[in-house]
Amino acid sequence: MKKYFQNKRNRRGFREFLYILPFLILVAVFSYYPLYGWVYAFFDYKPPFPLSMDQFAGLKWFKSMVDNPVKLMQILRVLRNTFAMSGLSLLFSWFPMIFAVFLNEIKCVPFKKFVQTVTTLPNFISWVLVYSIAYCLLNSTGVVNSVLMNLGIIDSPQLFLQSGDHVWFKMWLWLTWKNAGWSAIMYIAAITGIDGELTEAAKVDGATRMQIIRHITIPSILPTYFVLVMLSLANFLSNGMEQYFVFENAFNKDSIQVLDLYVYNLAMGNGGYSLSTAISILKSVVSVLLLCCTNGISKLIRGEGFI
Amino acid sequence: MKSKKVLSVLLVASMTISMLAGCGGGADTQQTTDGGQTTETQDSTASGTDSQAGDSAQEGGDSAAAGDLLSIEIYDVAANYQGVQGGWFDKVVKDRFNMEMNIIAPQVAGDAVFQTRASSGNLGDILVLERADFADCVEAGLVKDISADIGNYSNLMDYKDQIDVLNNGLPGNSGQTYGIPTEMMNTSPTSYSQDVIYSSPMLRWDLYSELGHPEIADLDGLLDVLEEMMKAHPTNESGDPAYPLSLWADWDGGDGMLGIANVVQLTTWYGEKIKGSAILKADNTFTPLTDKTATYYKMLHFLNDAQRRGLVDPDSGTQDWNSVCAKISAGQVYLLWYSWEVGFWNSQERLKAGNAFIFTPVQDQLYYADADSYYGSTRVFAVGSQVEGEKYDRIMKFLDWYASPEGLTFQHDGIEGFNYTVGDDGKFTQMNDNALMDNLPVPEEYGGGGYNDGNNAINQWIVAAMSTNPNSGEPYSCQYWSTYKEATMTDMKKEWQEKFDAEEPVDYMKKNNVLLISPNVSVSLPSDSSDISVIRNQCNDTLCDYSWRMIFAKDDAEFDAMWDEMCTQMDGFGFQELYDSDVERYQIELDAKLEAAK
Repeated sequence: MKKYFQNKRNRRGFREFLYILPFLILVAVFSYYPLYGWVYAFFDYKPPFPLSMDQFAGLKWFKSMVDNPVKLMQILRVLRNTFAMSGLSLLFSWFPMIFAVFLNEIKCVPFKKFVQTVTTLPNFISWVLVYSIAYCLLNSTGVVNSVLMNLGIIDSPQLFLQSGDHVWFKMWLWLTWKNAGWSAIMYIAAITGIDGELTEAAKVDGATRMQIIRHITIPSILPTYFVLVMLSLANFLSNGMEQYFVFENAFNKDSIQVLDLYVYNLAMGNGGYSLSTAISILKSVVSVLLLCCTNGISKLIRGEGFI
Repeated sequence: MKSKKVLSVLLVASMTISMLAGCGGGADTQQTTDGGQTTETQDSTASGTDSQAGDSAQEGGDSAAAGDLLSIEIYDVAANYQGVQGGWFDKVVKDRFNMEMNIIAPQVAGDAVFQTRASSGNLGDILVLERADFADCVEAGLVKDISADIGNYSNLMDYKDQIDVLNNGLPGNSGQTYGIPTEMMNTSPTSYSQDVIYSSPMLRWDLYSELGHPEIADLDGLLDVLEEMMKAHPTNESGDPAYPLSLWADWDGGDGMLGIANVVQLTTWYGEKIKGSAILKADNTFTPLTDKTATYYKMLHFLNDAQRRGLVDPDSGTQDWNSVCAKISAGQVYLLWYSWEVGFWNSQERLKAGNAFIFTPVQDQLYYADADSYYGSTRVFAVGSQVEGEKYDRIMKFLDWYASPEGLTFQHDGIEGFNYTVGDDGKFTQMNDNALMDNLPVPEEYGGGGYNDGNNAINQWIVAAMSTNPNSGEPYSCQYWSTYKEATMTDMKKEWQEKFDAEEPVDYMKKNNVLLISPNVSVSLPSDSSDISVIRNQCNDTLCDYSWRMIFAKDDAEFDAMWDEMCTQMDGFGFQELYDSDVERYQIELDAKLEAAK
């Protein structure tokens, strides 16, 4: 042992290992240790009794997910919603990029700063507050209904929050309102990184502003865009639950219940811990598969993977 | 270069320390006694540190000489507040027991806190549990056997009968005492002492009088009356739109009853009571909740009819109880059905002015009510299994005081000289009757702070407010004091008495034979297996979602189509299995009730 440390290289190696140790511990404690909880999916767990082998249930909970058509439909509906909402965000993932590009074109600096602040701010509002704002605006005596009724456009209040139509699109709108400015920050940083000589050369060659955007700005920030898209693809199944949880009600539940929310409702609603653990295991497995797929695609298209 | 190295080493060190500190945070805050609010964190990382925290706090209690400030944890399913008790009730307890109460409330922290604390083996020092969970906790060794000591506490021993019945009902129990029932009464299991029942239709007397007190034959008649009221008064006094009914969704599936809370309560208007997924009918038989001839369908249809007539607040499906409560207080609602709801509108002035809510009979109704809770309600007080020595002693003394006339007077009536005065004849007279509603400031000598803020956060009593206070000879509940009755004998009440020829709503029901009293019994019902609890959860979700959509259905055809679709869905989730299991459970209770009624 002592000899090992007498070697200068080994000593250095050990020291460098110590630098990284805190992060290894962090990952182990917060990412790997919780996986131990997966055992609950294989037991008939019921608090307050601790787990014991006679509650072992094997794959019962996995089977019960697809027991009969009704349960199968339920799972499929939840998956459909998850895919639809993640798909919509993916489909419109260019939006923050374009927003950043145009924001960058604004010449009046105070106005630019104002727009950027106003669009970034919603990111710091929690979903619970967003829902209170939505409720105040959209309830039967809210601002929107009052204005529309005073203008004579509608005769009776419209129940915007209670309708089950266009839920996916509405949810995407809320999400974009909240996130667009924040996501644009990454692109704004990328734009500042573009070599000024390029744009100047283009200007000398007589390129218009639109041409500069098309041939210089956008191509330069495309790599950033692709990395972000890949990352969001890997997160396809975990589109979070807070937003859907606060907007959820009996009328839109069929279209709003995404996987994360379903797992939460099952476990916290009435202690279906085992079943909801089983579902979240499946989710993790599918997520890992998705990540491998996108990595493969990335290797095919760009010639390099990201893991 | 060297300074960079030093810096990086320092950074690594500080990071490691902060990580460790983060993990140990739970234990540190636990031991703080006067560092202000010590709210428990309920994330998954806290579960590991909980047991250590409990242990170390306990050691502190052991070594402390009697008289040192003792901090106890109360795991309390009844509490709406989580954290350390403050204000006037804190002073009351500190003065007597030098004890500080840290309340852990699953209603605030989420049910997962039960699971994490139970798996750490220490649920708390004092436990307030639901009965089914109580039996499980005894089996899992989380509850302390108090048989040897409870005999020394005279106030608790006044209720020896009820305590014994509860504990003997525990499966496999051979004479040990583990729990103390809540809300016990010293009347009898079949009598009914209150003036109003838990749920009955209540209308604004002034609006009802304007229409000339029409007889209401049935639910359609009730809707007619409500429609007239709405026509005459489409807004409240400040011009906001008013609707006869305003519903809310955030209580759905509570109290062990499947379905939306607003419908579930209304089923008692026709003598039926929902027991899980079954409906107990007036003839003491069970029928599935999905039975179209039973009251869940009937009352859901009633709400749908009301909605089609435009009598239901359009925000009903998306608002929560707090919004409804604000609307009731602002006079935007014309029909109430919980007896306690009137507290948000009826004040002494409004009773005098005649525009308060009062029970208005509907001729074809038969009201279901649970009898006096002689054997207690559905919850249980217990002591945690890890409590020992001096701490155990003080907790038992506290529980004994909690059931004593002095303790009960504080819990039910508040502070002498602030909430009531005692006359020469020993009768109590209320003062500051808006103390709770308006959170009146409490004088410094009683502990200061707002009255509501400092109110007893345990929110559960060993003895019910309807029990007789030996010091005054009247119930603890201030609405039954002779002085209160005198003060509220208003013109409105006299008119009501004349019109319906009865002293109080319950007298009317008894006289006209429309009150069905279900005897109070003490049985331990088995808790759900993990299979049944999943089925219950999924069926309840389906039922609630469809129910809300049915309330907003456009016509009968749509309503019935949804009902049938709902039944198919629920069958797919295993409703039949759930129903069989519920009937088996509640048959035990029903048999006991039939026995008690003999």
